Amino acid sequence: MLDFTEASLKKVLTRYNVALEKAMTPEDAAEELYPKDELIYPIAKAIFEGEEDDVVEGLQAAIDAGEDPIALIDDALMVGMGVVTKLYDEGIIFLPNVMMSADAMLNGIEFCKENSETAPVTKGTVVCHVAEGDVHDIGKNIVTALLRANGYDVIDLGRDVPVDEVVASVVANKPLMVTGTALMTTTMYAFKEVNDKLLEKGIKIPFACGGGAVNQDFVSQYTLGVYGEEAADAPKIADAIIAGTTEIAALREKFHKH
Amino acid sequence: MAAKRYTSMAYASADEMTFGVSKHPVKAGLGLEIGAGYTIPEVNYAPRPEAGASKEKLVKEYERITTDIMARMVQVGFPAVILETEHVQQMSNNPSWGAEVAHAQKTIMEEYHDEYGIKCALRHTIGDIRENRDFLQLRGDKYSVFLEAFEQCAKSGADLLSVESMGGKEVFDHAVLRNDIPGMLYAIGCLGSMDMEMIWSDIAAIAQKTGTVAAGDTDCAQANTAMFIAGGLLDKNLAHTLAILARAISAPRSLVAYECGAMGPGKDCGYENIIIKAITGKPMTQEGKTSTCAHSDVMGNLIMQCCDCWSNESVEYHGEFGGTTVQCWSESLAYDCALMNTALETKNEKVLRDLLMLSDRYRDPQSYVLAYDNAYKVGQAIVKDGDNIYLRAKNAAVACCDIVSEGAAGKLELSRFESKALADAKASLDSLTDDMDKFMDDCLTKYKSEVKVFLPENYGF
Repeated sequence: MLDFTEASLKKVLTRYNVALEKAMTPEDAAEELYPKDELIYPIAKAIFEGEEDDVVEGLQAAIDAGEDPIALIDDALMVGMGVVTKLYDEGIIFLPNVMMSADAMLNGIEFCKENSETAPVTKGTVVCHVAEGDVHDIGKNIVTALLRANGYDVIDLGRDVPVDEVVASVVANKPLMVTGTALMTTTMYAFKEVNDKLLEKGIKIPFACGGGAVNQDFVSQYTLGVYGEEAADAPKIADAIIAGTTEIAALREKFHKH
Repeated sequence: MAAKRYTSMAYASADEMTFGVSKHPVKAGLGLEIGAGYTIPEVNYAPRPEAGASKEKLVKEYERITTDIMARMVQVGFPAVILETEHVQQMSNNPSWGAEVAHAQKTIMEEYHDEYGIKCALRHTIGDIRENRDFLQLRGDKYSVFLEAFEQCAKSGADLLSVESMGGKEVFDHAVLRNDIPGMLYAIGCLGSMDMEMIWSDIAAIAQKTGTVAAGDTDCAQANTAMFIAGGLLDKNLAHTLAILARAISAPRSLVAYECGAMGPGKDCGYENIIIKAITGKPMTQEGKTSTCAHSDVMGNLIMQCCDCWSNESVEYHGEFGGTTVQCWSESLAYDCALMNTALETKNEKVLRDLLMLSDRYRDPQSYVLAYDNAYKVGQAIVKDGDNIYLRAKNAAVACCDIVSEGAAGKLELSRFESKALADAKASLDSLTDDMDKFMDDCLTKYKSEVKVFLPENYGF
């Protein structure tokens, strides 16, 4: 069988991921970012490690020490999740780490809510759905996890969602944006119908769309459409909206890559 | 028909395998013999979004697509072509729509065959519509519609019957995003294989009744999801070492179609097909460098190494400078096939096969394992315990880890992330029981509680 010499192999391919890899391990990088407070540190670390039981144990210890459960959401859980999302954005950890951390964080938020009379304040509400006729929802599940990990309240309508249900949810929940994912070309046409019905009702919020067959050209065809190439773009678009970039054209300028 | 498990390899050695030749060629459609000494372009396409608005619009769209492809093949002088229509959900949910499309397409193909003698066949890939908004509904009413779609298409002109089935996906989606190796084994190797046995026994029976060919399934819903999430070298969504593990585990799952009576060619996006060809000797369609219109991968040349049909995966129908998309991509596919067929006719096929393989062999752990020599080793691990759907999936995963480790000791470079994911996966596999009943019981308990959309009754539990 034919084979390469080391020298000839290098003329055919470059493993850029190996060449560019950061010197620091993910654990070392996280250690530098954890808060130093001795009550908060174990919670943030448990979030990073995705250890749900340790998160709850740390929260209980902090509550026993007099910390307010709702304040711990922002001061401990979101801080730990902030370490995770920062290292994910920097390419130091992988999506499964984020998903496991998000599971642990949501568990922790539930625990805090159970131990408090007051409701937590979130950064804002986002309505998420998979296009009518389409049941492929792994992309939407990643989007919702990343949005929640970034402090957003997500109304997850699920998959194969009728156009009218999406519109009704937007009317009822007044989100800062709505997201749609689709795998197939003939189902993503439903995005245009959602767009048209929102406009009929005078609602002009960004409609962030992405998924398998969805492309920037298609999303640009409807007034509210903002294309997200990756699931990780969803919280970034939401952050941009909160920061004041609400015009569709400005969001497209910022997030459209092609 | 009960599944007849494979417990030995079709080929005595990996080197026996080449493109265009399979141990068990398949006659199909209008004059085609697949895997009988020549490769065939297989063109796949998707209608424009607005074409799904009505049955009439869809049929018209597929008529245009079919005419465009057949005309281009004749214009440039290619002897054979397969068309693959992957159903949009409207067609599978309304079997008469799919049937009408099949009839319209076959009518056009027959005209070209009669006039020019071009050999051709029509594959219809029925959508796996067995779901509702909240759950997979693998059995029951939806299953009846699903089978009806196969039967109507077969009676109306489809020659090759395929599907990308979804059994196990609810657990897989949960597991793959959590680096959960036992979950991936359970989802693909066990739940997927159990569902495959049910559907492929029925599909093979429909093919036999209608005089068509049960062609095969792919683990698109799971292994391709892993490959897609893993992405390119700089993407950080899933370690590529885990993506190839999902792929290795998918081979014994997709094998079940052939154990239930499928004849091939296996569907294009089944990158596991090289392993299945080694085990079954059945012809396979593959996709790679000429499917970049649909997705990127890291083995565009390598995956052509032993294909019998060569596909573009899917392209939306619209205009390009060189004609419509289906004309452009069918021509590219056909030129690739002309090169392979020239190699076959001049007895240079093993040289070309090895050049294709070697150009990507060290590009990624995924391509390394799917290089035909290593793929053959995964096949051997599968047939070693061929009668046990759990053990053979576990064997495939262990063999995959061993192959990547061996490669990493040589010219296959791994990133630290990939190495760590591989080491974690190996440790996880080492701790697993060999007792299938215990594994199944433990997983049933675990995933019933962790995955709220997992309905055990889908699998007959």
